[in-house]
Amino acid sequence: MTQAGSTIVERYRAPGFWRSVFSRLLFSAEARHFALVLPLLLFILVTVVAPVGHFLYRAIDNSTVAENMPRTAASLGDWQPADGVPGDAAFAAFAEDIRAAASAETLGQLAQSLNQQLTGTRNMILKSGLVVDDSVTADNAKAILLEKLPGLAKPELWALFKAGGSAYTDFYLLQSFDLERDVSGEIRMVGADRAIFLAAIWRTIVISINVTVICALLALPVAHVLASARPPYAGILLALVLFPLWTSLLVRTVSWIIILQGEGPVNTSLLYLGLIDDPLHLVYTRGSLYIAMVQVLLPLMILSILAVVVKLPKELVRAATSLGADWWQAYWRVQLPLIAPGIVTGAGIVFVFALGYYITPALIGGPRDQMLSSYVALYTNKTLNWGLAAALALQLLLVLVVAMLGWAAFQKLSKGKGA
Amino acid sequence: MHFWPRFRAQLAGFHTALVLLFILAPIAIMVPISLTAGTMLTLPVPGWSLQWYEVVFTDPRWTGAFINSLIIGAASTVLATILGTLAAIGLTWGQFPGQRIMLAVISVPLILPIIIMGVACFSFYATMGLVGSRFALVFAHAGLAAPVVVTTVMANLKSFDRTLMRAGASLGASPLLSFRRILVPLVLPGICTGALIAFLISFDEVVIASFITTADQRTLPRQIFSGVRESISPAIAAAAVILILCSALVLALTAEMQRRARKLQMKPR
Repeated sequence: MTQAGSTIVERYRAPGFWRSVFSRLLFSAEARHFALVLPLLLFILVTVVAPVGHFLYRAIDNSTVAENMPRTAASLGDWQPADGVPGDAAFAAFAEDIRAAASAETLGQLAQSLNQQLTGTRNMILKSGLVVDDSVTADNAKAILLEKLPGLAKPELWALFKAGGSAYTDFYLLQSFDLERDVSGEIRMVGADRAIFLAAIWRTIVISINVTVICALLALPVAHVLASARPPYAGILLALVLFPLWTSLLVRTVSWIIILQGEGPVNTSLLYLGLIDDPLHLVYTRGSLYIAMVQVLLPLMILSILAVVVKLPKELVRAATSLGADWWQAYWRVQLPLIAPGIVTGAGIVFVFALGYYITPALIGGPRDQMLSSYVALYTNKTLNWGLAAALALQLLLVLVVAMLGWAAFQKLSKGKGA
Repeated sequence: MHFWPRFRAQLAGFHTALVLLFILAPIAIMVPISLTAGTMLTLPVPGWSLQWYEVVFTDPRWTGAFINSLIIGAASTVLATILGTLAAIGLTWGQFPGQRIMLAVISVPLILPIIIMGVACFSFYATMGLVGSRFALVFAHAGLAAPVVVTTVMANLKSFDRTLMRAGASLGASPLLSFRRILVPLVLPGICTGALIAFLISFDEVVIASFITTADQRTLPRQIFSGVRESISPAIAAAAVILILCSALVLALTAEMQRRARKLQMKPR
């Protein structure tokens, strides 16, 4: 041990050292401030981070299969799907596992979990609980089971059992990208009839981008008008923009359903004016989704742009005009570059919010306008397919994080330019 | 020469009027619809009546939902405000290692898509057998609202003059006394603003509520949500108007709070 090292150790051992460390930790300003933040940090960890982590873990969780079929998975050690139906030992182990699961009353869970990875498996697994009775022994298991449950001859099924040797699975993650493993374990695209998720991601991104662009275009002139309004009106206008932000999202979405429905005011007035003969299908379409989402998110964009526009020096345009620029040049080349950071901020906020939208698409969009959030809800509510719901949630978070990183990088870039 | 600038201004004004109409009309139309004498959510209304408000104020499903919303809103507001205010003080004044990570963790609920939070709460509380417990919803709502309280109070604390705390200490006040008699009164408007927003977040929240409440602890938005999907009746509009009025009240109160905050913080200078 070196000289320096030994003195440090001796310092640790010196009487009173730890007491002074503790008292410094307990009574220093840093410790007091840390102690003020700690309760909220723990609260967020318990009420938000833990549930979200617990849920997202389900995307790779294969423990139901792993816990219920340990013997089957072990017996398939060297077996490959190309080998076809496995031998007696595997069937004997399967019968043993099913017997154990049936007596532990976990057969239903196992059937559900396997069914999510290979459709049509549920009934067979439930039925196998009845087939495996006392007459089934290690010797006759294969014969009896294959006779009564011909479905067990499928190698895909045994590949699934073998995967049960691990507590983790990439099945749901692959599925959320329209991928699957074939019998030999190679990753491939799923058939076109089952490929729905890549299209859903793409749709989510496209809808969010369109909403962001529409918001920016609509908000820009409004921000200018608000910035140039005189005091009493400026306050009133700002309150009018703020008010929708404070009103329930649900209420605003329901409102659009009422306005756009067949007997709604829009259709009624168009019919009355004789512009149409039959009510238009306005609600439950992509158009109605855009209208509702833009209405909900527009105030955020207006406020972001307004924050920059109010700080614009008025002399700039005059200077540009005096140098011979016409209004359009002065706006496009002088004002707009200065407003751009506000637009970028607003676009980031609107885009990120739009990506995660659930209530509005669920209520006012048609079946073909659903975004990733709706699929997360669908696989939770309808089929209780936690694995897929969690994989889709991870996918949504991935898009969100990429968008936010891109946004942060862009902001850094534009700030660097401005300096 | 003078025609174009004026025309541009008029065009922008016209555009602004249309945009304001577009963002306010959906809120405004709830008022006439809630006063309909008919049984459909349609405009124009066949006649005027207060019957749907009577339904909302007498039908036990609606009154129960309203009371639940108030209880859950109040409880989560208290939790979020206390935790959020303390954390805001620590984060504004403290300089300790890991501070930025802590702020990042605390900000997670601000950007987390609400559906993930809803499904995650369902998954988490279901394994603990707590679905249908009011506590679960209060915790979830407080978790959503606390970061907003942190942001609001931090914004107010930044303009707070910290020499006042040192002045208090030099006059012999303990940190706790200075906190209670100097800091809290001066930052109170900011804390109240945070609390009001926290209440509104809970009062308007529907996604988490739709996942982890059972029929007998539905909140008001949850009741509207199921009303839209199951039985469309103008009672939804009446309940919506109540939500809108609450928002308007909260907005007015926060404006007042911010006015007071500015006044209070100008005085010492």
